[in-house]
Amino acid sequence: MTDLMQKPETKILILATLAGGYAGADATGQSHLDYPSNTYILPVMCPVMFPPEFFIRSFERGIDGILLMYSGTDSPYKVEAAGTAKLINQSYELMKERGIDIRRLRLAAICTVCVKPFLKEVNNMHTLLKGIGPVSAEIKPQQAEAQRTLP
Amino acid sequence: MSEKPKIGVYTCYCGGNISHTVKCEQVAKVMADQPDVVISRTNMSLCSDAGQSQIEEDIRELGVNRVVIGACAPSLHEPTFRNTVVRAGLNPYLYHHVGLREQDSWVHSCDCDGATCKAVRLMSAGVAKARFLDPLEPIRLEAEKQALVIGGGVAGLRSALDIANQGLRVVLVEKSPFLGGRMAQLAKVFPTGEEAQRLLSELIDEVVQHPRIGVFIQTEVVGVSGYVGKYGIDLLQHGRGVTAENGEALAAGCTQFVPDEFNYNLTERKVIYKPYQGCYPALPAVDWDHYDGESILLNGKKEVLQDQAQPYQLTVGAIVVATGFDPYTPHTGEYGYGELPQVATLAELIRHLAVHPEAKSLRWNGRIVRDVVMVHCVGSREIEGVDALQEDGLVNNYCSRVCCTATLHMIEELHTHFPGLNIFDLYQDIRTYGRGHEEYYRSALSSGTRFVRYNGEDRPEVIAALEGDTHPVLVHVKDALTYNQELEIPADLVVLATGMQPRQIDDLVRMLKVSRGNDRFLLEVHPKLRPVETAVNGVILAGTAQGPMNIQESILAASAAAAKVVSLLGSGQVELQPFVAAVNAAKCDGTGACVEACEYEGAIALETLVENGKEVKRAVVTAANCSGCGACVSVCPNRAIDVQGWTLAQYEAMVDAIAMDIVDLVEAE
Repeated sequence: MTDLMQKPETKILILATLAGGYAGADATGQSHLDYPSNTYILPVMCPVMFPPEFFIRSFERGIDGILLMYSGTDSPYKVEAAGTAKLINQSYELMKERGIDIRRLRLAAICTVCVKPFLKEVNNMHTLLKGIGPVSAEIKPQQAEAQRTLP
Repeated sequence: MSEKPKIGVYTCYCGGNISHTVKCEQVAKVMADQPDVVISRTNMSLCSDAGQSQIEEDIRELGVNRVVIGACAPSLHEPTFRNTVVRAGLNPYLYHHVGLREQDSWVHSCDCDGATCKAVRLMSAGVAKARFLDPLEPIRLEAEKQALVIGGGVAGLRSALDIANQGLRVVLVEKSPFLGGRMAQLAKVFPTGEEAQRLLSELIDEVVQHPRIGVFIQTEVVGVSGYVGKYGIDLLQHGRGVTAENGEALAAGCTQFVPDEFNYNLTERKVIYKPYQGCYPALPAVDWDHYDGESILLNGKKEVLQDQAQPYQLTVGAIVVATGFDPYTPHTGEYGYGELPQVATLAELIRHLAVHPEAKSLRWNGRIVRDVVMVHCVGSREIEGVDALQEDGLVNNYCSRVCCTATLHMIEELHTHFPGLNIFDLYQDIRTYGRGHEEYYRSALSSGTRFVRYNGEDRPEVIAALEGDTHPVLVHVKDALTYNQELEIPADLVVLATGMQPRQIDDLVRMLKVSRGNDRFLLEVHPKLRPVETAVNGVILAGTAQGPMNIQESILAASAAAAKVVSLLGSGQVELQPFVAAVNAAKCDGTGACVEACEYEGAIALETLVENGKEVKRAVVTAANCSGCGACVSVCPNRAIDVQGWTLAQYEAMVDAIAMDIVDLVEAE
């Protein structure tokens, strides 16, 4: 297990819609195209369900970058495109207030066969995090402390 | 949560697909010591009978009441494992699936440690979510026992007939003015050698005479709303422009000619037309796209025709998409096509022979043909960086499957009708995969056809011969079987075996929310497990809308689609996933923010209730109208509303598990 324990890394959370980004990630897998392994994809029905506080909380817990891969205007949900964009803008305001680099949160339209765009987004975020470092450098210590405990 | 979670965690090797990269035993070991986990196992293939039985046994004998499985993509086996836990007496929604193959082992093949760390975190997240899982019941709704079939080609016709024969009503819509689709353009069809139009005619007769099938011709789908069981469909039917009384007379009086696309523009037809004798309907139609609006003489009077389009609305329980394919049209200059008159496509040659059935010799553009070169894989099996990009910036890298046999079938036809032809067949591979197809290859060999194998990276070149040469075109090809010896073949006619392309149905794709594959054809959920279903409930695929198929395969797919529709709607009820909003009345204080955020009519409303003798307002969800988008969740100040099965608390728990350092997870052992 030691080898696993020596894997300090930044963490990218990918919230990907079932109708878009999640299927796009599967398509990337089917093409056997490699990308960094510090990427954690969670399926979502529609990202409009996440309040801005959710993203702040995620950063506070130690997530260094968040990619929201949604279906944009091709979404099966009426509110997805406009609603999510609005929530992201609100999230940016909160991030600025807390001194979190807003580039750590990115909204991207990824379709079911968007293999190249998927890879581009993941690699760009990975490169960005290499440059700006972990989120713990931007969050107050008492907030960062919380990241090691499970609920 | 009604009971203490007892979680069973299962990490699948996927026959090595996962375990070759992810150290599954390490993952299982870490999971075994997570709180609430009572058993953590690995398995070579969880989806096998033995794998599923193990899970069932653990549920029965160890009291496992939550199941987390790390395996292939959830889209492949989520239904399999839901059924597994149900068989053992567990609610199907007390199971969570983690994708460890497509999103881990297959994309981190050079980073085994990284992939294993990722698997540990994702599985931990799965366990974290499982603690918050609640039993859910699917939503059962009345279903309309009527299906819509889009497309009046052979797949649509077959599908409509099969559905109707099982007692359901069918509405068949065809965009063009005649039924039959692409099959009507063929002559004899392999492997039986029967006449395509006669076969179609029999099928069309059955369809149009069926009491439960309504046929809408010249009709487009312009709107789709609703959900499986109750789709609202808006149709727009264009006018035929003629009546039974004046149709033939108007056609006779029409003087406007346009290229006849039924014959691939080799001939012309009138703008009031019938594509071929014996077509259905037998009544001529006006080609509105080309009609110039000029008056037409009828019984000495001038008539100006107008498209009086008529809208229709209907409700259907399911939709079959049988929109077919488009034949590939080579770019100008591709193998000399469009520049050299002696270069044609296979589809054009088929129509040429159909138009001249009595010809004693093969002529093309007035020239007697003695030497023919057939070129396979035109617009198919293209290679990025070698072949020119299509309009959408992609190459057609797929095999069109039917062209090899179609080409060899044509060679047999040519030898039969025009003995003495010299035929060269330039191929990459001969893919005569169906029963009876290989016989065409043998027939071509025995009739003296000369086969030359070329490499895809080095395609043949077709150029004009010098003036005064014996032949109008020269074909240059490197014979891969003789160490790329360069051959120059003089030809009177070059026939390009063009493949199939996805149809331009962007509007329909958008309306139906269906997905396309990498090849741009419509995508099924899984090629083996759910081969005709799309990811959209109640939208089923039939025929070449899904990918290249021959007629036999199209019919098989159409019947499979019909079977799916019948099994879905036959009982008059459909089951929907229970992933809709649910209100925690104890937390709701009736702010109405959720009602304001919701864009679905009738999905959520504030109702006045009496609690402890006081009138209070509470949000109430109507499940059938809720899409489960969660717009209400993000705006509720009290976190009193959630999407069942996808709650905010579950996501927070998953994020915490992912954010945890591996060292902490390992220390939990």
